[in-house]
Amino acid sequence: MIKLYDYVLSVNCYKQRLMMSILDVPYESIPVDFYPGWEHKGEEFKKINPLGHIPVIDDDGYILWDAHAILVYLAAKYDPSGLWYPTSDPRLLGETASWMLFAEGTTNTASAARLCVNLGYDFDLEACRAGAHRLFRVLDEHLWFREREGREWVCSGPHPTIADIALFPDVVLSEEGGIPRLDYPALRRWTDRVKRMPGFEGMPGIFPASQARQN
Amino acid sequence: MTPVASDPFTLWHPVASDHDVPHRHVHHGQLLGRELAIWRADDDFVNVWENRCLHRGVRLSIGSNDGTELRCQYHGWRYANRSAGCTYIPAHPADAPARTICNRTFSAVERYGLIWSGEDPVGEPPTIDVLESCAPFGLRNLPVNASVEMTVQYLQAHRFCPSGRLDAESVEMTVEMTVEWIDDYSVALTATAGGSSSGSASGSSSGSASGSASGSSSTAVFFVQPVDSGRSVIRGVLTETPPEGDQLAVLRHHAVGLNGLVAAIEAEAARLPAPEPIMPALQQVPIHLAELPEAPSGRIASLRVQVNRKWSTAEGVAAFELVPLQGVLPTFQPGAHIDVHLPNGLIRQYSITNGAGQSSCYRIGVKLEPDSTGGSVCLHETVREGDVLAISEPRNNFPLRRDSLRTILLAGGIGITPLLSMAQTLDRMDLGFELHLFVQSEDHIAFRDVVDGLGESVVPHVGLSPPETVGEIRRLVAEHPPHTHLYICGPGPMLEAARLEAAAAGWPDDAVHFEYFKNTTEIDDSSTFDVALARSALTLTVGAGQTILEVLREHGVSVPSSCEQGACGTCVATVLEGEPDHQDVYLNDSDHRAGDRMMTCVSRSKSDRLVLDL
Repeated sequence: MIKLYDYVLSVNCYKQRLMMSILDVPYESIPVDFYPGWEHKGEEFKKINPLGHIPVIDDDGYILWDAHAILVYLAAKYDPSGLWYPTSDPRLLGETASWMLFAEGTTNTASAARLCVNLGYDFDLEACRAGAHRLFRVLDEHLWFREREGREWVCSGPHPTIADIALFPDVVLSEEGGIPRLDYPALRRWTDRVKRMPGFEGMPGIFPASQARQN
Repeated sequence: MTPVASDPFTLWHPVASDHDVPHRHVHHGQLLGRELAIWRADDDFVNVWENRCLHRGVRLSIGSNDGTELRCQYHGWRYANRSAGCTYIPAHPADAPARTICNRTFSAVERYGLIWSGEDPVGEPPTIDVLESCAPFGLRNLPVNASVEMTVQYLQAHRFCPSGRLDAESVEMTVEMTVEWIDDYSVALTATAGGSSSGSASGSSSGSASGSASGSSSTAVFFVQPVDSGRSVIRGVLTETPPEGDQLAVLRHHAVGLNGLVAAIEAEAARLPAPEPIMPALQQVPIHLAELPEAPSGRIASLRVQVNRKWSTAEGVAAFELVPLQGVLPTFQPGAHIDVHLPNGLIRQYSITNGAGQSSCYRIGVKLEPDSTGGSVCLHETVREGDVLAISEPRNNFPLRRDSLRTILLAGGIGITPLLSMAQTLDRMDLGFELHLFVQSEDHIAFRDVVDGLGESVVPHVGLSPPETVGEIRRLVAEHPPHTHLYICGPGPMLEAARLEAAAAGWPDDAVHFEYFKNTTEIDDSSTFDVALARSALTLTVGAGQTILEVLREHGVSVPSSCEQGACGTCVATVLEGEPDHQDVYLNDSDHRAGDRMMTCVSRSKSDRLVLDL
């Protein structure tokens, strides 16, 4: 069974939990005392990941770190439909890669602001917030046009991809970092759609959505 | 202070676009510094509420919209569509929330693809002639970190291409821009392509529409929403909907142009000192909430409703849909009833059959009683569609818990009415339930359309004899699974049997809830006793043939009441001393044994003296 080196409040660990919950992949969560223990920075943990960060997975001896890389691996290996990481469609695959890189940006701004506020990280908070707003504006416009095209997800296909999973936690927890989403209504509607995916699970601060309307 | 036309707080402003409020979503909005939670119910009513749960002040925009109720994310308080009244407090699952728990609401009107609202808006939202005579086409809204004044000023000089000539700039065709009008919160612009400027400058607002037939001219109205002193939203509407295939290109064209405009506005705004944010005025607590309310006395018909629809919903059962003459109906919860004051002077109680938050009307079902003393006959024969009836505010003495793992609803005949409200509510919340309908025949199932919508949770039991009915009930309540509650409404004998069977099977009294149609107990009013009122410092004597309620009223002590026959629970009083002589069918056996509450309309005293908390 996959072991996930995990911290319940980490957005990057949550991305893995969400993906595995949606793909119905059983896993064992190995709690890491991220805060206040900084266990991931300790010598023992650096034997697993010399970079000293989580999440890390151990899939039957195969070790992989970096949140977005793990999403690629999980989808490629455990999604028989091939839709979450669309390797058979070069255009969709390109878009997925592009939005995964965009998600690095939201992690380094929106989620970084959250770490400053919640866990006392010493980043430039105002720069993180301004950066997040710049990216959210772009993403909101992008998703608004997706709705006009009759699409629901970040990439242009009819099915969500790992890019949605990579972006969702950074967006939906932004208010914890002092980044309101008042100006991004299309982004807010997209978070409802993600929450209604079959197999969706939340984390502290991420609540389920009401059921979609039938018919 | 007399409001002047330019006072932004008395004007209507757009606060969202139609596409911002899809079903089952809560839009986060802001107007003049005040945050709003804007949500569309399944019946398409758009609610604009202060974005603040009354309980702990948490934003309602993070709550969930289940189609009829908005649920706060923090402690799960639920608020009804339209009225914004609280329908359920999870920490008090057995109680009906007070009617005074109600969020602040603002008016909402949908017009031109926008939701219009305001702090204290006067009259109707503006009528825009060029948008009246056409099919308006909404552009993407753009938030701007700048004041309304600056945004409007920049918009005046905004340029775009006509929808039919998006290529105008690339082929170096001149596009003439005409300002149709400008005011504090909107700008209307017409773009005309063609290289020749003749005529376009003089184009009247009515003329601009005719020029667009060829696609070489487009008019856009840009409304600017004052979000806060230094923040706005541009909401653009084209007066003409482009052909389906061109729409995305038109939208993208405008998005690019407006993004450029917003960048220019924000660059200038950033150079200026940031204005102070608007502090939204806190609403004063209304007098009726700030002061202890005077207890309503008697059976007050404070509402007027119109019979919007009357139809036969089952054999011998007439259904009535009651709508407000104006405004919205008061909040009700599942299990609630209203008193209907009939044209012939009688007062009768009927349960509201709507699910929680289905608040556009009250629907009631009235069975024609063969031994009617005039109530059901009057409703069946005299009251017609269009008639106005006087009713009481809804009252809930039969509240539904929404925290049971499973709920069993036993309905006998027309006893379905309160249980139908409960069933719809449980169904929407995805809480497990069974609705057992004991009816003489299929034709006796009232509100068939609603019943059918509940799917397999409904179990009809058709044409059973009384012993068979008891046998069936015995089977249904044979054991008491943990966290399961039973609600019963039906004819007296069936209800009695169900209570006995449940008690015999080990159901505790607090898991068995019931509502009788009427109290068939033979009332013994031969006793004489004293009633001391602890709070009023009064001692009264109740003689044979009098009720406590009558004596209280004669002496000016207010007590609300409804059925006045010991069935509905409205006239309950707390007993401080003495032994009540219970003659009601509202309280259960445990309550009767405890003797700490009594129904003042029929119950009396076994001791010489009762002390009531009145």
